[in-house]
Amino acid sequence: MSTRAENRAAAAHHKVAAARRFPNEALLLVPAVIFVVATVVYPLLYNISQSFFDIGIAEIVSGAGKWVGFENYADQLQRPEFWAALGISVSYTAATVVLSVIVALLLAQLFQLNIPGRDYMRALILLAWIIPTVISANVWRWLLDGSYGLLNGMLRMFGIIDGDVFWLGEPVTAFIAVVAASVWTFAPLGMILLTAGLQSIPHSLYEAAMVDGASRWQRFLNITVPALKPVLYTTAFLLFIYTFKTFDTIFLMTGGGPGGATKILPVYAYEQAFIFFKFGKAAVATTILLVIPTVLSILYFHSIKKEERS
Amino acid sequence: MSNDTVTITTGSPRSSISAKRRVTRRPGVFVLALLVTLLYLVPIYWMIVTSFKQSDAIFAKPPSLLPVPPTIEPFISVLANENLLQGLLNTFVIAVGTTILALLLAVPAAYALARVNVPFISVILFVFLAVQMIPAVNLALPMYMLFSKLGLVNTYAGLIIANASLAVPLAITIMRPYFLSLPNEVIEAAKTDGCNSFTAFLRIALPISVPGIVTMGTISFMGAWGEFVFGLSLATDVQMQPATVVLAGMTSQFGVRWNDLMAASTIVALPVLAIFVFLQRYVVSGLTEGATKG
Repeated sequence: MSTRAENRAAAAHHKVAAARRFPNEALLLVPAVIFVVATVVYPLLYNISQSFFDIGIAEIVSGAGKWVGFENYADQLQRPEFWAALGISVSYTAATVVLSVIVALLLAQLFQLNIPGRDYMRALILLAWIIPTVISANVWRWLLDGSYGLLNGMLRMFGIIDGDVFWLGEPVTAFIAVVAASVWTFAPLGMILLTAGLQSIPHSLYEAAMVDGASRWQRFLNITVPALKPVLYTTAFLLFIYTFKTFDTIFLMTGGGPGGATKILPVYAYEQAFIFFKFGKAAVATTILLVIPTVLSILYFHSIKKEERS
Repeated sequence: MSNDTVTITTGSPRSSISAKRRVTRRPGVFVLALLVTLLYLVPIYWMIVTSFKQSDAIFAKPPSLLPVPPTIEPFISVLANENLLQGLLNTFVIAVGTTILALLLAVPAAYALARVNVPFISVILFVFLAVQMIPAVNLALPMYMLFSKLGLVNTYAGLIIANASLAVPLAITIMRPYFLSLPNEVIEAAKTDGCNSFTAFLRIALPISVPGIVTMGTISFMGAWGEFVFGLSLATDVQMQPATVVLAGMTSQFGVRWNDLMAASTIVALPVLAIFVFLQRYVVSGLTEGATKG
């Protein structure tokens, strides 16, 4: 009896020791790593390799295209449309991220106040982020409809406009419209992240400041903003990633128009591939598309590490 | 970070105490918050209201804020649309398949990443995090080329794999904190009692981590339900398209029937809205964990 128990204990001890030497829990990681390598890493590398080939619809079916070296890159980098798409991507992302963070901060601050039912209000606002973007894009198109849209109905009622205004038909207003729709979608996510950040600021700081006679604005500037800085930073980075990835909202609201005014790089790459069937050239666009988030995320993680060290 | 500290509904004890202390109860602030919330919900309200309007009410100037008289005709008309029904079925199959695949791959991986400490772990973690930054177009394009050769275009398998490619890394990011919060002693005690690494994972770690698994499954399902880019590029056959792509097809035709389109949108949005209402706690913690942890 006792020997059996001893044996078992010894065996268990041996097993624990073995587990320390070779962590066989690591095997649980293998399927996921293989899957991600096969479905993400390999396709990305394949995509880069294809950017050196001339590939149309026939080559997709038949097999390999013709090796053209950097010809696709030269072709794309000479195209004003490509540079325009890159520029619009950057300005669309910058406008959306800045405005989303501002709206998110205002919402988070508003619902920090002791308001009856604020949890329900926050949850309702979060619906804007939860709802699939394909659907919200359709709804925004309908809200902004020139003849029968709700926005124009309201503006006519208040006498601000007279007749029909086709917001999505003009370059500047179409750009503003897709930014507005994107901010509407992204700000609630920012609000949730910033709320978590605000709740972690010790209330004693505010009480001390109030004793010292600091105004609401002073407390915001001198306590909230510095304490919230890391969370603000993370939120802005995350919203940047999401915004730079945007496709549905613009593809469905404007299709990149009018006249390319809202044609961001992902929409441009999609068109090259699936509308014009220039897969090699599209691969150039998507490869370049990867550069900006890669550089920024390296900078981001670098600065986080630096902050953690200090 | 534990699950409870990030849910908006509970909040930390400190903040609720301090909230009570600084009760303002100014009606002005309440009215402002209410107005902001209502203003924010206008697009969703307008979608639902429009879907109950008769066709001639769509063209009313000024547009009426209520569907008078209300009608369910748009719903009847879109539910007779075979493409949309097929699309909903496709979306369901793809979303369930993606969730199961993400569950099978991500849960064990997250456990391993939380428990094992070897040098290459940080590299793997970084890769899983970096993968989430890749625009879907970047994967849709090579996947279309590869899937064409493998015969996976216009198949459920292809669409599930494509969706899971982005769902698995996100799911791992969401799940890992749950396993990190699991005390090491619990697992070691189980091993002393005769469990090996795998049975300890199955019998001890998994049951404790059910909230994390629900969160992860919910986020995966909702993501796949609303997915558009893979559906658009990898399902060229109408019979295989998810509901989001069918919806997009309804808008690009001339003379959009807005009440029908909004009814169809409401139907497609309904499962996501229902999940959010019933599993809000899990969704919110998933958003914050997935977003801030790595």
